Amino acid sequence: MSVTDRETGPLTPSEVPGRILVPYGQGRIRGLDADELGAHGTAMDRLVALGLPVVPGLTVPASASASLCEPGTAEAAVDLIEQLSGRRIGDAGRPLLLRLSASAPTEIAGLPPDLACLGITSAGADSLCAVIGREDALYEVWATTVRMIAEYALDVPGAVLDDALLDTPEPRARVDALLSLVARHGSRPFPDDPAQQLALAARALLVRWDSPRARRSRKAQRLPADLGIALHVQALRIGPADHSGYGTAVSRHPETGRLSPQGSFFRGVRRSAPPPHTSEPLDRLAGGTALLEHSLLTLERHLHAPVSVDFEVRDGEISLLAAAAQQRPPLRASVCLAADLARDGALGLDEAVLRISPAQVQELLHPQLRLTGGEELLVKGLPASPGAATGVIVLSSERALELGADGTQVVLAAHETSPADVPGMLASAAVLTGTGGIASHAAVVARGAGKPAVCGAEGLRVDRAAGTVRIGNRVLREGDPVSMDGRTGAVYAGTLSVSVAGPPPELSTLLEWADGMRRLGVRANADSAAEVSTAVALGAEGVGLCRTEHQFLGERLPLIRRVILAADPAARDEALSALEHAQHQDFRALLAAVGNRPVTVRLLDAPLHEFLPGPGQAENAGEEQRAAALREANPMLGLRGVRLALLHERLYPAQAEALFAAWADVAATGVRPELEVMIPLVSVPEELAAAAAYVRGAAEAVAARTGVQVPYRFGTMIETPRAALLAGELADHAEFFSFGTNDLTQLTYGFSRDDVERQVLANYQERGLLTASPFARLDPHGVGALVALAAERARSVRPGIKLGVCGEHGGDPESIAFCDGLGLDYVSCSAHRVPVARMAAAHSALRERRDEIGSAR
Amino acid sequence: MQPAAVDLPDSPDDTLAEALVDLVLRGMWHGRPESEHRPLVDAGLAMVKGPMALPTERAKAAASRILRISPGSAQEAQITAAYEAFLPLNRKIREVCTAWQCRPDGTANDHSDSVYDAGVRESLEDVHEAIQPVLRRLERVLEGSGRYLTALEEALDRFDDGAVQWLASPLCDSYHTMWMRLHQELLLVLGISRAEDEAREEELVTRSRG
Repeated sequence: MSVTDRETGPLTPSEVPGRILVPYGQGRIRGLDADELGAHGTAMDRLVALGLPVVPGLTVPASASASLCEPGTAEAAVDLIEQLSGRRIGDAGRPLLLRLSASAPTEIAGLPPDLACLGITSAGADSLCAVIGREDALYEVWATTVRMIAEYALDVPGAVLDDALLDTPEPRARVDALLSLVARHGSRPFPDDPAQQLALAARALLVRWDSPRARRSRKAQRLPADLGIALHVQALRIGPADHSGYGTAVSRHPETGRLSPQGSFFRGVRRSAPPPHTSEPLDRLAGGTALLEHSLLTLERHLHAPVSVDFEVRDGEISLLAAAAQQRPPLRASVCLAADLARDGALGLDEAVLRISPAQVQELLHPQLRLTGGEELLVKGLPASPGAATGVIVLSSERALELGADGTQVVLAAHETSPADVPGMLASAAVLTGTGGIASHAAVVARGAGKPAVCGAEGLRVDRAAGTVRIGNRVLREGDPVSMDGRTGAVYAGTLSVSVAGPPPELSTLLEWADGMRRLGVRANADSAAEVSTAVALGAEGVGLCRTEHQFLGERLPLIRRVILAADPAARDEALSALEHAQHQDFRALLAAVGNRPVTVRLLDAPLHEFLPGPGQAENAGEEQRAAALREANPMLGLRGVRLALLHERLYPAQAEALFAAWADVAATGVRPELEVMIPLVSVPEELAAAAAYVRGAAEAVAARTGVQVPYRFGTMIETPRAALLAGELADHAEFFSFGTNDLTQLTYGFSRDDVERQVLANYQERGLLTASPFARLDPHGVGALVALAAERARSVRPGIKLGVCGEHGGDPESIAFCDGLGLDYVSCSAHRVPVARMAAAHSALRERRDEIGSAR
Repeated sequence: MQPAAVDLPDSPDDTLAEALVDLVLRGMWHGRPESEHRPLVDAGLAMVKGPMALPTERAKAAASRILRISPGSAQEAQITAAYEAFLPLNRKIREVCTAWQCRPDGTANDHSDSVYDAGVRESLEDVHEAIQPVLRRLERVLEGSGRYLTALEEALDRFDDGAVQWLASPLCDSYHTMWMRLHQELLLVLGISRAEDEAREEELVTRSRG
């Protein structure tokens, strides 16, 4: 049959009917693009081109969408759908209805809702219900359709319709009530003829698209006010609910990211949102999931993205209703897909690596409770607000406020939540509730306040009077510690430590590829053997900064205090040798953990005041006096770093001897760490020469004592502007530099970090004086220029000098790209940022390569 | 608010009762002058913690008595009808707030996706369109409840002006905060427990979605 035969309406002869009613799959052939076909029409075209089964349907292109309001066009559309589906509307045996939807050139929000039930009449409804085998769903969809058409195409006042719906909860009665309201208030009665219904439905969608709310939505998305929409008419083939229905599926498991169709299906007639509660898992599909899996896989390979589809099941057979790349797929799905595509050769390794941003790497390594297996799991509730927290249980807002005021971390446990619990939630580190789900008031409030929350923990019984909470079989008292993970819903007894998760396997794969693409090395800042092990597990190539300050704090503080405040040399030497012994133990454990990797050990850098007793706390009057004399006005710029070592001449030799002796011990076990000894806070080349002499002397002393010549490199931090400017002179004495960009930033700006972060930076950023905190992002113009200049001057003196960065900037992707651009050898960052830095360094190298290729062309 | 006879031991005047009900519905007063909460504290109805005044258990019991309308009355039946229309929307608004705060995969919504956010705004509009007839009916049978629609509209306006905390933040009279207060008032007026409320909501939601 020819469509044109029936087109008798208002179409002018110049309009080609084929351009007005475009069956799925024929858009491109007819020269129509997404602007005309809409995102849905384009997607259906693609499905047809890929040979996938699709539901029969057609598109009315955006520029002609209003013509579907004309009876002639609507009639032709009905005929075409009947022809495409091989069914007829009103046929009682193999019934057919129509579904009308709209789409814009891209996926947007604010489209009018689908009108899902066209072509039905009061007289024919019973026979449809007989075929389906149930009736509620059909009437519900029908009522929604009538409601929309009544308000937007037949001018029935919305308030009248609202009242009818409030008074008539039962779906079948609703349809009757709405139809009689149309008869009474409408501009015309609700028609029985399917083409007339379709024409009115088209009008309703277009009027709704022109409503103030739709206009506001377009404005919010910065879409043109006059953006056109394509209309789509789909066949809705009615079948028995036993083996007919519809569903949705995504290609990948949201938690693991693996290829495995996830979704649900519903028996009966397809509705608009919200989805009903009667979903069934995909494995209950009458005809199996093979075709669905094939479709998802085909689409993924074509779109290079995790995909979602809507599908119809009719008599056990699947056909697709819609398909799209997932707008924001779960991160793990994206990572897995990138790895899968690259393994199959569908994507280059570098393209796969570029798909995952450093920020996304960070997101995958979220903080979580460190589990060792011995924890006592109290309960598993619903993961309502992400984040991990520990704290003591409190059972009321008032208690939370009292303890919270002291700085105690508290977890508010409540069986149910009312407004009275909100102040307590705000004062707590986390929230635990016994009822309610991830969309409970408590969860909304917790997320609004940025607190981790676990909700709906079954078996939680709060007894405020007794001050206890029963969780499962355990009874906890107010004040007992618990730990909880708002991402998994797990609640544990006791205080667990919170740490960064290791990368999932597919991310490890991508990071290994990234390692092969980057030039810049990535090391970690680590002060203890445990930190070294964490850093190595996260892919650090070595330790770029080992701070030795902690070796002097805690129980060793009295020893270093005695060194500094000693009344006579004998007392000082005794304290020093005790310190040396303790340091030796520390270094041995550290070096054993480092293995054959490089490790940069920075000799003592703490400001003097950290070692001095507080006023009145010295052991005797003499010490009190000496301590008072040593107190400084500005300790951060006073006696610290190399300066302290030059005034207390046994300090660095003792540290270096402990270090070298530890290396000799470890070397005896067959491990040879690449040792680098680093001097802090140098600004005068002669300081560095003197420090070098101390270290050399220590190496000789250890060689004489143990017979082991310890191989080491000697170098300096560059953290004062003067050191950067005198890099050439410093390079005479140093085999490597490590830029301490935290201090270099403070001293270049003249910012005291603690002070400006509180008072100045936020204000500067708000006013646009600074775009980012220079402590978070390396300032390329000032601090960065000093780094560049120092690198250049150092290389002119010592061409192979090793250059690294060990400030917090070493973990910031933009700063990493800057360092890579300067050709530095490595960045060193905290262990948990190592995977981010590996990815950022690879992205920087790949971008550079692409730029080179681009400019060569 | 119902000016019913209140068995307050000390000074059962209307001002005190009104303040009491306000404090209980809000859950707290933050940073108000001492003169406002002093009478409540003196009557054993409020306690002060730092900048906050919280209702005592006694206050909560008193507010329930003040607000509760007479059981079995026609008024109760009318308010119950509105409450039952409110419940499915109560589920929906929490889902909307959840969608605003979290993406479907559970990660925080960083608001970088204007299409996603506009989609959430659309669902909010659906809720707002649907709650209006309910609140208009409620206003006819529960004195003073008209203020909720005003407050919800105010929050929505601010939200649309770009102050997005006015949807779900607990720190201001946001849409969600006002909604929670309305919910609390309905429960006290009808004498319904939270557990009963949850069960009824679940039942009505399940029924409406077949």
